Amino acid sequence: MSETTKTPEPVLQVKDLNVKFSLRGRVLHAIRGVTMDIYRGESLAIVGESGSGKSVLTKTFMGLLDQNGWVDSGSIVFEGEDLTTFSAEKDWLRIRGRKIAMVLQDPMTSLNPLKTIGKQIGEALMLHQGLKGEEADKRIQEVLLDVGIDEPARRMKQYPHQFSGGMRQRVVIAIAIACQSQILICDEPTTALDVTIQAQILQLIRNLIHKYDLTAVYITHDLGVVANIADRIAVMYAGDIVEIGTCEEIFYDPRHPYTWALLSSLPQLGRKGEALYAIKGTPPNLFNEVVGDAFAPRNPHALNIDFRERPPYFDVSPTHRVRSWLEDPRAPKVEPPEILKRIREQGGSLYEHC
Amino acid sequence: MFKYVGKRLLASTITLIIILTTVFVLMRQMPIEGYFDNFDKVDQAVINAKLEQLGLRDPMPVQLKNFFAGLLRGDLGVSNRYRTGAPIASIIAAKAPISIQMGLLSMAVSLLLGIPLGAKMARSKSKLWDKLGTGFIVFINAVPAAVYYIYLQSYGSKALDIPMLFKPDSAISWVLPVLSMSLGSIAYYAMWLRRYMVDEMNKDYVKLARAKGVATRDITMGHVFRNAFVPMIQYIPSSLLFTISGSIYIESLYSIPGMGGLLVDVITRQDNTMVQALVMLYASIGIIGMLLGDLLMVLIDPRISFSKREGVR
Repeated sequence: MSETTKTPEPVLQVKDLNVKFSLRGRVLHAIRGVTMDIYRGESLAIVGESGSGKSVLTKTFMGLLDQNGWVDSGSIVFEGEDLTTFSAEKDWLRIRGRKIAMVLQDPMTSLNPLKTIGKQIGEALMLHQGLKGEEADKRIQEVLLDVGIDEPARRMKQYPHQFSGGMRQRVVIAIAIACQSQILICDEPTTALDVTIQAQILQLIRNLIHKYDLTAVYITHDLGVVANIADRIAVMYAGDIVEIGTCEEIFYDPRHPYTWALLSSLPQLGRKGEALYAIKGTPPNLFNEVVGDAFAPRNPHALNIDFRERPPYFDVSPTHRVRSWLEDPRAPKVEPPEILKRIREQGGSLYEHC
Repeated sequence: MFKYVGKRLLASTITLIIILTTVFVLMRQMPIEGYFDNFDKVDQAVINAKLEQLGLRDPMPVQLKNFFAGLLRGDLGVSNRYRTGAPIASIIAAKAPISIQMGLLSMAVSLLLGIPLGAKMARSKSKLWDKLGTGFIVFINAVPAAVYYIYLQSYGSKALDIPMLFKPDSAISWVLPVLSMSLGSIAYYAMWLRRYMVDEMNKDYVKLARAKGVATRDITMGHVFRNAFVPMIQYIPSSLLFTISGSIYIESLYSIPGMGGLLVDVITRQDNTMVQALVMLYASIGIIGMLLGDLLMVLIDPRISFSKREGVR
């Protein structure tokens, strides 16, 4: 469905980014050399299991790493500036909210319980557009209507506890929209919501992205969600992007064994009476230096070299890159698992967006 | 709101009656020897006459009825042992002001020092200020107050070059007792504010506030501090009211003519009317303090409401 035929223009460029954390005297290598571009106007989904570094990666865009974390090397170029050189809060305040906004996972806790939602939206308006008083009130009501909250004049005077989970997430989205930033990072925006609400919230975010011409980055571990919203997908494993491509490429022509495993675990692909697929083993401990391909120990197709040397990126197509030795011309031919064929068969019911 | 306060006041009155009755009856179970200075040498006729005069010969229900009837007339009665014949109201009126003044001063000092200390500690968590503050709090809580009170008195009076004892007219002689009284509550306010602020700082709404571009200083003041203060505000009215009870130890250390120790004093001397009056005073203060604390919470925390839920979901 993506109608982007014009050459994509990168709005944010990450290059060989390394992020480390110090925890109880040990160093954890959370992001291990990530390189990627985010294009203007696209919706990029970053998928991966818990602890794969999805959130940490996006936090570096806003300088929101926890105190014990730091960017060890690499660059993040945004509007001609390298964000990794920022150290003072003053620098980040030019970016946070103003240029890049964020929607957090759990709407039940992401609003201040003691301030009216009008005040909390107004705070963003004041900071980024200098709106005050009646002007601000008017704009607050507009964004509330934008996110589908009726009777905004009454609702803006209410407190978060007077809103349901789905409604609170709409408020959080309203705050992000009120900032009028360029990039919207949605960190698992629907994980804490129940399924019926999830679809509504995703639809809402899609509409707003269109209306406000935003670039969106979704973080999720739900491939069903991804299929519905993303133009491109980046698959993360153990602090690295192992495969990145358009939605079609990742779903119909996945190349990395981890992507295969991830897709095979989709419950939607299960058949009655068949055991659901689960990836065996656990992700590597990032306190230790990873040698070779991080997924090798859990990979039934692992080659010898996977245990010795880290694979480089291989270009499958101009939009599709994989970090796997299987793409090397010298590698033996390995067929993706049978079950993945069901994605094509089931395509429509799995997703209808791309 | 008014309905709620009315209900609470009614419940409070009942509580007060129960407390007063219990204390009244308990006092009457004490041995009668306590009513006399030299019981062994006092003539039986004198004993009888005195007990009669105190009304202790009446059956308990009658004694209780007389007591509550007196209270309803606003009559606290007269002291019958502590300062025989003196109206209780005037005894308290003479002693309470100095305790209240000292208590209020000490409370102001504690809030003015304890709150900033706690906030500073939270903001520089696990850094120098936090460690210094923690050291102070641990010291105050671990060392018996009596020990540092004495050190403060002897070294403090030497350093300030003032007499050890208190003189109401000399402003400088207020410094040491007020400071002594404050140390404990400074540590208390600092400890709890730090704790609540650290709790708040780790909440998601602080992350969202950062993500939307609010500066750290504004987050600390506008979001974290206010929210952290809510659970503390509940105890402020009680602390304020209880300044009237004075501090036993500090008042005796500096010989301050206040309320501190008065209750203990009149209990040991079996001054029934004084005990009843003081118990009533302190119990009322406790009850009113809690009520005010709860009302204050409602004012600042929108999540608490007197009325039934409006059913918004």
